[in-house]
Amino acid sequence: MTLLAVTRLELRRLFVRPLGWIVAALALAELGWRFALLLQIFLLNQVKLAALPDGPGYTDLVAVRLYSSFITGSPLPFGMIELALLLVPLLTMTTLASERSAGTLPLLFSTGLSASRILLGKYLAVLIWLALWLLLALAIPASLAHGVTLDWGKLAAATLGTFLGLAVLGAIGVACSAFASHPAVAAVAALMISLALNCINLGAQLAGINSGFINWLAMSTHQETLLRGLVSSADVVWFLLAIAVALALGVQRLAADKERG
Amino acid sequence: MSDLSLCLEAGQVLGLLGVNGAGKSTTLAMVAGALRPDRGSIRIQGQDFLEHPELAGQALGWLPEAAPLWPELTVREHLDAHGRLRGLSGTRLTEARDGVLERLELKTLSRRLAGVLSQGQRQRLGLACALLHRPALLVLDEPANALDPVQVVALRTLLRELAAGGTAVILSTHQLAEVTAVCDRVAILHEGVLRYDGALGADQHAALEQTFFDIAMHGRAQAA
Repeated sequence: MTLLAVTRLELRRLFVRPLGWIVAALALAELGWRFALLLQIFLLNQVKLAALPDGPGYTDLVAVRLYSSFITGSPLPFGMIELALLLVPLLTMTTLASERSAGTLPLLFSTGLSASRILLGKYLAVLIWLALWLLLALAIPASLAHGVTLDWGKLAAATLGTFLGLAVLGAIGVACSAFASHPAVAAVAALMISLALNCINLGAQLAGINSGFINWLAMSTHQETLLRGLVSSADVVWFLLAIAVALALGVQRLAADKERG
Repeated sequence: MSDLSLCLEAGQVLGLLGVNGAGKSTTLAMVAGALRPDRGSIRIQGQDFLEHPELAGQALGWLPEAAPLWPELTVREHLDAHGRLRGLSGTRLTEARDGVLERLELKTLSRRLAGVLSQGQRQRLGLACALLHRPALLVLDEPANALDPVQVVALRTLLRELAAGGTAVILSTHQLAEVTAVCDRVAILHEGVLRYDGALGADQHAALEQTFFDIAMHGRAQAA
């Protein structure tokens, strides 16, 4: 299946470039630091928390909070989602923009692959890379699983929410790369769109607007529900819809490349 | 491009000539499936590959101008990637890869990154990628660019061998000598229109030169 050949090619390109490794290493180091701080806070408050009848435990205060700063409520280093807002555009910027600038995109077209297969193949590679990153991040709180009581259901819901968030950011990044002729332009565009999509409700609230539609539009609204352990099909559909829209736009742009040259 | 109609037999080598901007690369990109024409059809072995683009992947090899490559991949990885994109796998891929590495004298460079290759080596790698799956039609855009004289002779020999084996070749070039040395038919484009299409016999360099300059200067071939 040639779609998988595109995925394999893109994965190879991602793994041999130092940028991917540097991004992953820095992100994991930062998450390790965040984990240590969250754990320290948890241990300091452990006695007080134990006295509460339904008090939050390790999963709520450490494991899930590793993923996002939205529910931390304290000035700690970035969670995984905030890091992804900055780093995923760097990872995806070259997927198609560099093919266009290097002249290899027509070569891919000449293999008989459609624009959708090329784009989906690339997206699948990005998704695999992001899933590996998420698994490594998940290993940090899971490493203490033998000594603490982990709420696996809540952690699974939060992990799903984070993965869906990463998948949306990856789709936006690949789509921006399909539109741009230079990787740096793709990265900046993906960063701006991702930030806007994530924080549009906060911006609206600061401007005194409290609209249900704007809240629905924001990724953080849907992610927060999952991070709190509630898997709602409406939220999952939002993520799938966002991915589909981004990829459809990217395919349109790529198909236009073949039409216009 | 307008009203371009060309038919190429198996084993034929067609030289596509024209001044800069005549439409040579555009024509080749359309033939190679990288650019979709507004109308018309492109058939390979009787099948329209605009309707069945997957046919192009199997039956066609293309070397674009300046041999675009992925700089972060090695020579071997390039060939593997091209092979997989064209449906090769397992021992078929290994045999095909080793064959072109040997044939184009790239074996010693197989672990080198494409980004550090010289222009001539890049050109040979691009050609190897185009030849890997033994296409029925080989489309070459300025293949002799950046090759040294020894490599140019080797390229001519290779093209004649491929033609003898039944591969049809379209060769775009600025070099008239290149065309007279390897092609048995020549087509001349001018401002997107096919102005000349004819067989090329031995010792016809001077006549071809005359025809080419007539078309380039006056837009049409002058009567002899």
